[in-house]
Amino acid sequence: MKTTVLLVIGLVLAAPVLAQDPPPLSIRPFAMATGQSFAATQTFNATFGKTFFPFFGGGVQVVVHDTFFVEISASRFRQTGQRAYLNLGKVFQLGIPLTATVTPVEVTGGYRFRFKKFPAVRPYVAAGFGSYGYTETSSFAEPGDDVSTRHAGFVVNGGAEFRVHRWVGIAGDVQYSHVSGILGTAGVSQQAGESDLGGIAARVKVVVGR
Amino acid sequence: MSGFRVRALCAVIAVAGGLVLSLRGQTVVESSFAILQNVGLTAIDEGVIRDESHTPASEQMVRKRALLAALSTDRVSASGARYRSDRLIVKFRDEAAMGDRKAALRAASSTGEFGTRASYADFDIVRLDASEDPEMVAQALQGRPEVQYAQAAYRVHATLIPNDPEYATLQWNLPLVNLEKAWDIQPLAGSTITVAVIDTGMAYQNATITATIPSFRDGAGIRYPALGKVTIPYSGAPQLVGAGNAGRIVAPYDVISAGVNPPLDFEGHGTHVSGTIGQLTNDAIGTAGVAFNVKLMPVKVLASTWDVLFGGASSEGGSDDDVARGIRYAADNGAKILNMSLGSSGPPNCGTNPNQVDCAPVIEAAMRYAVGKGCFIVVSAGNEFEDTVPPYGTNPTSVLAEIASRISGVVSVAAVDRAKAHAYYSSAGPYVELSAPGGSERGFGRDGFVWQQTFDYNFTDTFLLPPAQYRAPRFDVLATIGYIGTSMAAPHVSGIAAMLMQQGITDPAAIEDILEKTAVDLGTPGRDNTFGFGLVDARAALRGLGLAK
Repeated sequence: MKTTVLLVIGLVLAAPVLAQDPPPLSIRPFAMATGQSFAATQTFNATFGKTFFPFFGGGVQVVVHDTFFVEISASRFRQTGQRAYLNLGKVFQLGIPLTATVTPVEVTGGYRFRFKKFPAVRPYVAAGFGSYGYTETSSFAEPGDDVSTRHAGFVVNGGAEFRVHRWVGIAGDVQYSHVSGILGTAGVSQQAGESDLGGIAARVKVVVGR
Repeated sequence: MSGFRVRALCAVIAVAGGLVLSLRGQTVVESSFAILQNVGLTAIDEGVIRDESHTPASEQMVRKRALLAALSTDRVSASGARYRSDRLIVKFRDEAAMGDRKAALRAASSTGEFGTRASYADFDIVRLDASEDPEMVAQALQGRPEVQYAQAAYRVHATLIPNDPEYATLQWNLPLVNLEKAWDIQPLAGSTITVAVIDTGMAYQNATITATIPSFRDGAGIRYPALGKVTIPYSGAPQLVGAGNAGRIVAPYDVISAGVNPPLDFEGHGTHVSGTIGQLTNDAIGTAGVAFNVKLMPVKVLASTWDVLFGGASSEGGSDDDVARGIRYAADNGAKILNMSLGSSGPPNCGTNPNQVDCAPVIEAAMRYAVGKGCFIVVSAGNEFEDTVPPYGTNPTSVLAEIASRISGVVSVAAVDRAKAHAYYSSAGPYVELSAPGGSERGFGRDGFVWQQTFDYNFTDTFLLPPAQYRAPRFDVLATIGYIGTSMAAPHVSGIAAMLMQQGITDPAAIEDILEKTAVDLGTPGRDNTFGFGLVDARAALRGLGLAK
């Protein structure tokens, strides 16, 4: 509690962002909320009835000289739907509960742009790779029926960070990810001919630090 | 006097008493023989019978086939196929005017006359004098522009090989298709789905039959005496309709008598097949069925020896027009799964040239009609793998199964034995789509049969006894009997399909796709001519698919 109060007081009393010189190395934790539209639309529609889902997570950015940065993040998506069949575009849900969990751990490196006219806005682009954990559990499973695996993928993203306070920024970006090796070899995804567990995501991050 | 005899005597007395009472109070169905429905006692259930033998080469079966040939008025084509001598099936194009149709018929036949269009038929039956060959007339009609197709009314037959029972190892067949775990997934076991059993009928109700049985000669020319007017007890199978389950019977129909008679089974095949589909289960009695809560629709298209001797049919088996009408009846009256444990042999290319001898375009049209109404159809693949049928040779194409392979939503089912190996009799070819337990005695003896409740042949097939012992049959003594054949394989798939439909998969093409995709691959990797896509797996089919697995 004492620490929180001191942190709040520090933030309030801090000098405006424009008046600060950026440190040569900044370590900035962040919390993140993501809305992702999965590329495997038929697969997710068949099982969950929709393709857009939230992820929640967080991570750390390491910014060097206020321009280059490396970011590591982890997030999680968990949704319960039904086991299903897909035949010639028609979906048949079977009423058997299925829960899928996706846990991406992503490492990206990028560059932060600077606009003299809008110093509080810092556009950025980044690219990297991720390790994507996937578990699938469902009722009436026998040993070997459920899925627990992790595969690699890649990501690219771009957006902008808005400095709302000396110590707090809000970033918004769009990220594209491609994850192969999990979908497409069996299940509904095989019927649908879809093999990408990635998709397009809109991310909002609350970044703490300079 | 044994308990059984006491029960039998009581049954006879009660039936006779009931008959007297019922004759005063009920309307007797007018037919060549009379059936007083719901007048009769509950069946005598003998349990498992261990010493009954009806192997394909057994004396009983040989004599039965000879008797059928002796009683039949059918013609036999050059290919060896039997077809009805008194009729022809013609489907005219819709745009053909009646005058043109009559002209076409006059050009092809000197004696042909249009009959009144039968119920559940989109085709016409042309009555012919016995002097004319229906196959020849059909060929003459096929070339005419007014005609969509014309064919003789080829006989179809049940695809069963009945055999000895063995109590100790009953029903290996249900675990083989992973049914116990499927019942966990769907304990309702198809309670809202109606399965039509297009077959020899079904022992679905008690009745008392009065018939005048004439004398006849068997295949060896031995004369059997007339039995005169007899009263015959008939009972519904306790394991199908017992314990208050009579309500599961939906819209029973006898195609052969055009609905005049109830579709009672006088052969046992349809009752056995029905048992595999939906025998009452978890009642601590007898055997289990696959989808034990389904509603059953008996649709009789195959006549038995007793149908012939009672005067209710001209020959045993059914013909293509009967089967086609049975399919249409089932589709029009609420059935969602149609089990067809029957077949006939023919050329392999009816799909590209349906106007050949032994092809059955009338059945193909009926199947497509039924699938269009949301029905999933299961057809047995045939039992002729080791048989030679001129001119088609050994392992001839099963005509109905070949049709099935060309229609999405209709599957043909081959048979495996209890070791998941090819059952020796099961026909093989590019038309085989799935496999299911059909049983085999080779290597397993009686342990290899598929067991269900049906009639005790000792009381029904009295025409196989010497003339001095020949007597009226009785159809109120049932037992658990072992059969083998693709007839037994098909109802496994029908039951699983009913459970799938109950699970929410209502599209026939989707059901076929699921059954094939979840089948356990056997033999050569991938689809093959022996097992098709493999052994049907009830649990895998019912459990469906996840995203990744």
